[in-house]
Amino acid sequence: MTTPQEPPPPAASAAPPIVTRGLTKRFRGGQVAVDTVDLEVPAGSVFGFLGPNGSGKTTTIRMLLGLIAPTSGSVELLGESMPKAQLKVLPRVGALVEGPAFYPFWSGQANLLRFDAADRTADPRTRKARAAEALERVGLSNAAGKKVRAYSLGMRQRLAIAVALMQRRDLLVLDEPTNGLDPQGTREVRNLIRELASDGTTVFTSTHLLAEVEQVCTHAAVMSRGKLVRQSTVADLRAELRPRLVVRTPDLAQAAETLKGLGATDLKTTEETVEGDSGDLPIDKFAAALVAADVRIHGFGLERPSLEEAFVALTGEGFDVAE
Amino acid sequence: MSLSSTVDGGRRLTAGRHTLGLFRSELRLVFGRARTQAGLGVLAAVPLLIGIAIKLSGSDGDAEGFLGQVAGNGLFLIVASLGLSLPFFLPTAVTVISGESLAGEASLGTLRTMLTAPAGRSRLLAAKMVALAVFCLAATMTIWISGLIVGFILFPVGDVLLLSGTTVSLGEGLLRALLIAIVISLSLLGLAGIGLFVSSLTSTPLAAMAATFGAFIVLGIMTAIPQLHAIHPWLLIYRWQSFADLLRDPPYWHEIARNLLVQGAYLVVFYTAAWARLTSRDIT
Amino acid sequence: MGVTQRSRRWLVPVTAVAVVAGVGALGPVVADASPKLPGITAQDLLAKVQTAKVDGLSGTVRSSANLGLPSIPGVEGGNQLSELLSGQHTARVAFATPDKARVSVLDNQAERVWTTDGKSAWAYDSSRREAVKLTLPARSAKPDKPQAAPKNYDPQAVAKQFLDAIDPTTKVEVSGTEKVAGRDAYKLRLVPKTDRTTVGSVTLAIDSKTWVPLDVTVMPRTGNDPAVELGFSSVSFDVPAASTFTFTPPKGVKVTDKKVPATRQAPHPVKPPKAVGPKGEKAPAQRGDKPTVLGEGWESVVMVRGVKTTGNGPVDQLLANARTVQGSWGKGKILTSKMVSALITDDGRVFAGLVTPDTLQAAAAKAPR
Repeated sequence: MTTPQEPPPPAASAAPPIVTRGLTKRFRGGQVAVDTVDLEVPAGSVFGFLGPNGSGKTTTIRMLLGLIAPTSGSVELLGESMPKAQLKVLPRVGALVEGPAFYPFWSGQANLLRFDAADRTADPRTRKARAAEALERVGLSNAAGKKVRAYSLGMRQRLAIAVALMQRRDLLVLDEPTNGLDPQGTREVRNLIRELASDGTTVFTSTHLLAEVEQVCTHAAVMSRGKLVRQSTVADLRAELRPRLVVRTPDLAQAAETLKGLGATDLKTTEETVEGDSGDLPIDKFAAALVAADVRIHGFGLERPSLEEAFVALTGEGFDVAE
Repeated sequence: MSLSSTVDGGRRLTAGRHTLGLFRSELRLVFGRARTQAGLGVLAAVPLLIGIAIKLSGSDGDAEGFLGQVAGNGLFLIVASLGLSLPFFLPTAVTVISGESLAGEASLGTLRTMLTAPAGRSRLLAAKMVALAVFCLAATMTIWISGLIVGFILFPVGDVLLLSGTTVSLGEGLLRALLIAIVISLSLLGLAGIGLFVSSLTSTPLAAMAATFGAFIVLGIMTAIPQLHAIHPWLLIYRWQSFADLLRDPPYWHEIARNLLVQGAYLVVFYTAAWARLTSRDIT
Repeated sequence: MGVTQRSRRWLVPVTAVAVVAGVGALGPVVADASPKLPGITAQDLLAKVQTAKVDGLSGTVRSSANLGLPSIPGVEGGNQLSELLSGQHTARVAFATPDKARVSVLDNQAERVWTTDGKSAWAYDSSRREAVKLTLPARSAKPDKPQAAPKNYDPQAVAKQFLDAIDPTTKVEVSGTEKVAGRDAYKLRLVPKTDRTTVGSVTLAIDSKTWVPLDVTVMPRTGNDPAVELGFSSVSFDVPAASTFTFTPPKGVKVTDKKVPATRQAPHPVKPPKAVGPKGEKAPAQRGDKPTVLGEGWESVVMVRGVKTTGNGPVDQLLANARTVQGSWGKGKILTSKMVSALITDDGRVFAGLVTPDTLQAAAAKAPR
């Protein structure tokens, strides 16, 4: 049923670069790795794909790129159905899937040349120049002639990103792009992502580092046990988190008692703080009560929780922090 | 064509032209590896070792068959080396390279990158097969060239005595030896097809090589069991020795054609099986 | 792409297997479809065969024998007779009137050649690189084939005579047509009327244009595989070039000159295995005395006396597994196969024939000691 009031369909360029409908992958053992995931990545976004290890992120990414076939559901990449249109679509997509993989007996440059040669739309005349440029962008120009066998994990990670940068892409799909990088390298990659995004490239990046999402992403989705539990803009995600009242004090028990007496909920006590949900009550009431109860106050205020806490709230589990 | 029109067309215009890039890259991958070069080196050493052994033993044609003719005519070093490499060295080389082809990429993880490049699964498989076929030819041509050089250095060379008792010029003899090298390389295609298929099943190149070589051994044993004569004509290596029919006057093509048909049948069956496997496989 | 859709891809290799198997199994059948030829009686066909005359032919003959003989361990190779009695062989043959012939047996990576241009004959063995030369005596200009035929002969009469002669023992019929070596041929089938022989039938394929026999197939009484098949796989009735029959001993080949036997046996173009002549056949077992033929027709049994059957390892081994039988003739071991039966008596006689074991024992009972 169509109604005349419906807005006109969005222009092709504005179509979401990634759309999945009911995407499901059941492995042969019967284990459901990805369970009816409906993902929609807006054009021009930097989309953080979050989830603990084993939550189905990498399986989802493999299905996005046509490496594995969904058990059911569909994937649309840049408006085309995958994996049917993969030869048409994938040249416009830069991808880094699950760790860097190279021919160790070849130089970094030779590896780039081979992967580029595999793409029949890539122009062989500019191949070497593009490889040099991509190596430059990831800071590997000096190691271009070195065998990949001799690369550090960080260098391989950069080289993998260089593969994605060999051509101008409309979409980058990066699986844990900062994995194995030192802080300096991590910063560089984040800057690179921002730079690419500002050119209009949509970046879809999976990570287990919330800091990464907070710093570079405009949107985020959270996976847990194969299910997509949340997707929205990062700003919305943050806004939904209720601020928490935090009291820094040596008199922990007394402070907790006081807060509880005024109706604060979800109280948690650490070594030097007591924190809780202040509810609808203005916080000056709490301050007054604490003073009245002779609680020594070293610090007092509302704190906005980190995404990590939001994440824990959503998935019910913490990150296995690799670093 | 003006520059602007080239730029105008962008990628689409030149899309078809770059299909060969993958095939060239595949050849570089196969022939650029130290492993391949070492294998070809071993094959090149076969005529050298045979030649030196015959020279040192000083035997003057006592041996039956092509080996016995080497001392009299260096050209037969090519034929004898090809014939002696056929039962073991050549199949081993083909087994290693074909077992490596897809399983090697899968174990390195580069298969993922190649497919997202995108190479296209069918196209990647075709490139792998073409590279294997080129390797088969390179392997026999290595023996041909090495046999030519060593044979001409160590032994007298002249008109060539055919099996039928007639004699042809040296030039025609070389041409026939070249045909033998080509026929033998085509004889290896069935095995290459099996290797490619086995390689598509696993991510462990060594397992693929072992399984392919195992299949080769089993086929060899089956060929040696007389009770199985009913199925012998269908076996991969049953007519491998028919290359010698090129040294009859005139060449006898019947068995060679049968051999090539069998190779073609194996190739078609195992190539399509590898295709079905690769195009339906989850690449992890 | 769903999982079922993906598994459908396996239909492609499965189809490939089916096509390959189909072409392999049915291809020859389709190619050998019976050609349409006008009907002919056996007598007319036999008469035509006698008038057959070609000035020359060349082609490839393939023979396969599967007599069901037990393979004697340790006696593989080195014996041309036993080798020719089993397995498959291919020979190139050429023939030109009056006296030129060439047969080359295509062995594995070797070739044995017998050729004659009427003046000299050569035998060449490529694996040993040895050639034997026979210089033939000057002979009259008369060609030998017509010479063999009686002056006033009527093919029809001869055919009738032949049919009458074999009628009591054998049914002769034209049993259809077939393609042999790409030529249309009539099939003439001879079926023994007795059931005491192991021979089921003998079929000749006779070319419908030149009336030359192109193929002979012997079927055993039991089973569907021919016991012996010998025939052209390709044939041309063009007269081969004279150079086909000459032989120039190549450099490096040892040449032996030999005396000419008084009655020359030119290799017959159609039956190369019989033409193995110059090499001489060593019998597989020790020689006994001259063989005697007992009985007649399909039931013929050959008897050899004074054969030493012990002291030969492989033969002992073979006999050890054989069935022991006895009768009025004495006691012995009997060996049977699909086609051939042999009875070795303890007193050193050997009976053999294309007959059933019972027939063999019956023959032994009547045989002189």
